[in-house]
Amino acid sequence: MSIQTASDVPMIELKNVNKHFGSLHVLKDISLSVKKGEVVVIIGPSGSGKSTLCRTINRLETIDSGEIWFDGAKLPEEGRELANLRSQIGMVFQSFNLFAHMSVLDNMTLAPTSVRRVPKAEARAEAMRLLERVGVGDQAHKVPAELSGGQQQRAAIARALAMHPKAMLFDEPTSALDPEMIGEVLNVMTELAREGMTMVIVTHEMNFARRVSDRVIFMDGGSIVEENTPEAFFSHPRTRRAADFLQSIQK
Amino acid sequence: MSLSALLNEYGGMYLRALLNTWRLTAICFTGAFIIGVLVTVLRVCPVKPLRAFGVFYVQVFRNIPGAAMLIILVYALPRLRILLSFEMCVIVASVLIPSAFCSEHLMSGMNTINPGQIEAARALGLTFTQMITRIVIPQALRSTVLPMTSLCVSTMLTTALGSQVSLRPHQLELTGVVNYINSRAVGGIMAFAISAALYVMTALLIGWVGARIDRKVRILR
Ligand SMILES: Nc1ncnc2c1ncn2[C@@H]1O[C@H](COP(=O)(O)OP(=O)(O)O)[C@@H](O)[C@H]1O
Ligand SMILES: [Mg+2]
Repeated sequence: MSIQTASDVPMIELKNVNKHFGSLHVLKDISLSVKKGEVVVIIGPSGSGKSTLCRTINRLETIDSGEIWFDGAKLPEEGRELANLRSQIGMVFQSFNLFAHMSVLDNMTLAPTSVRRVPKAEARAEAMRLLERVGVGDQAHKVPAELSGGQQQRAAIARALAMHPKAMLFDEPTSALDPEMIGEVLNVMTELAREGMTMVIVTHEMNFARRVSDRVIFMDGGSIVEENTPEAFFSHPRTRRAADFLQSIQK
Repeated sequence: MSLSALLNEYGGMYLRALLNTWRLTAICFTGAFIIGVLVTVLRVCPVKPLRAFGVFYVQVFRNIPGAAMLIILVYALPRLRILLSFEMCVIVASVLIPSAFCSEHLMSGMNTINPGQIEAARALGLTFTQMITRIVIPQALRSTVLPMTSLCVSTMLTTALGSQVSLRPHQLELTGVVNYINSRAVGGIMAFAISAALYVMTALLIGWVGARIDRKVRILR
């Protein structure tokens, strides 16, 4: 028998997860395992449950049945333990969601100083380093509304990174951006993937998905319909529904 | 009496009454503000009985006329063996009623916060308390400076309840001083006009300060 090492434990594991919104069955028996360092892209038509799936991983959405494990531990139900777990999972939203009343720098340091008790000076230095890294170091003292969408999203990624997360969730991070700003955000994400960050990404950017992901999950109607390598998925998908979907977005 | 005669004889009293109104307004608005914030936190907290209490509190004090409130404090509390001075009764009434409105303003201020920011706070691992104190209340306050300014003015007007109890001459506020003068001399409409002018002047001052604060802290969206 082999000894299980920490790296064998999946970073994220969903086992037979079901979720309803009232009578709507949004997640149907979802099972999914994401290895450490793996980049998984979730693709599918609008309303197929991609966001909901993403949000169950840090329990922004509760589930009705099944289990979710993160780095070898079952998700806590609530309270401090849940908050602690969430602090280990970075999340990036479609609408950036920077705190509107704070400077970009304060957005960066709030969670490290209040959740992790990092000394203020240290948190600031780290924040500046991260902001420089995503190319918005010169915007640190502005409030979010003074930044372009692309800059806000890069700052939001940096804010998540400031907590040194074990994994990152991205829910359509470029869907609210003007086309000319999509590239700058995808570049930051590509770099993160190269550095070995475990990532779950909901996106409609097919070229990016093909280039960066290790695996593609195709969802439709609340189910995982196809799970494939990016090469195979985009050139010859196994399922009819995936083929139809790829066809429909081609034009 | 003429304006000059009134000012000659009672100028000092008006000045003291103005200062008393300012003092009462400052105390009551501060108290109402603190209680309003606390009650609002109760109204959004995850514990259901506390939420219910918060809602109940606001419904009660938002719907009691100031005069009725004062009567309750002055006549009912002594039966419960709680003895408050007349001035304290005025202060308590002028704290409780505005505190309910303060909470209402804050609730509407909270509704201006994009729910995505709350989710971001939760996703970062902030606890409920951290989220409320660092994200929700600061934004609610910044977006309600102007309604709070009006609340400060209406708190000032509520302190006129002081004229309905017998305060000592040195405790009189702007409305009480008119009663006092009219019970001694025929001050007529002029006695009231002086107080009215002082109220208006104070309200304008509060409005000016409020507008400045609003410009400074307003959230760019
Ligand atoms: N909070 C909610 N309450 C009720 N229904 C919801 C809620 N959030 C999402 N839904 C519904 O669940 C389904 C899946 O939504 P979502 O996960 O956002 O899909 P996707 O991200 O793939 O577009 C949709 O039909 C949506 O209308
Ligand atoms: Mg979605």
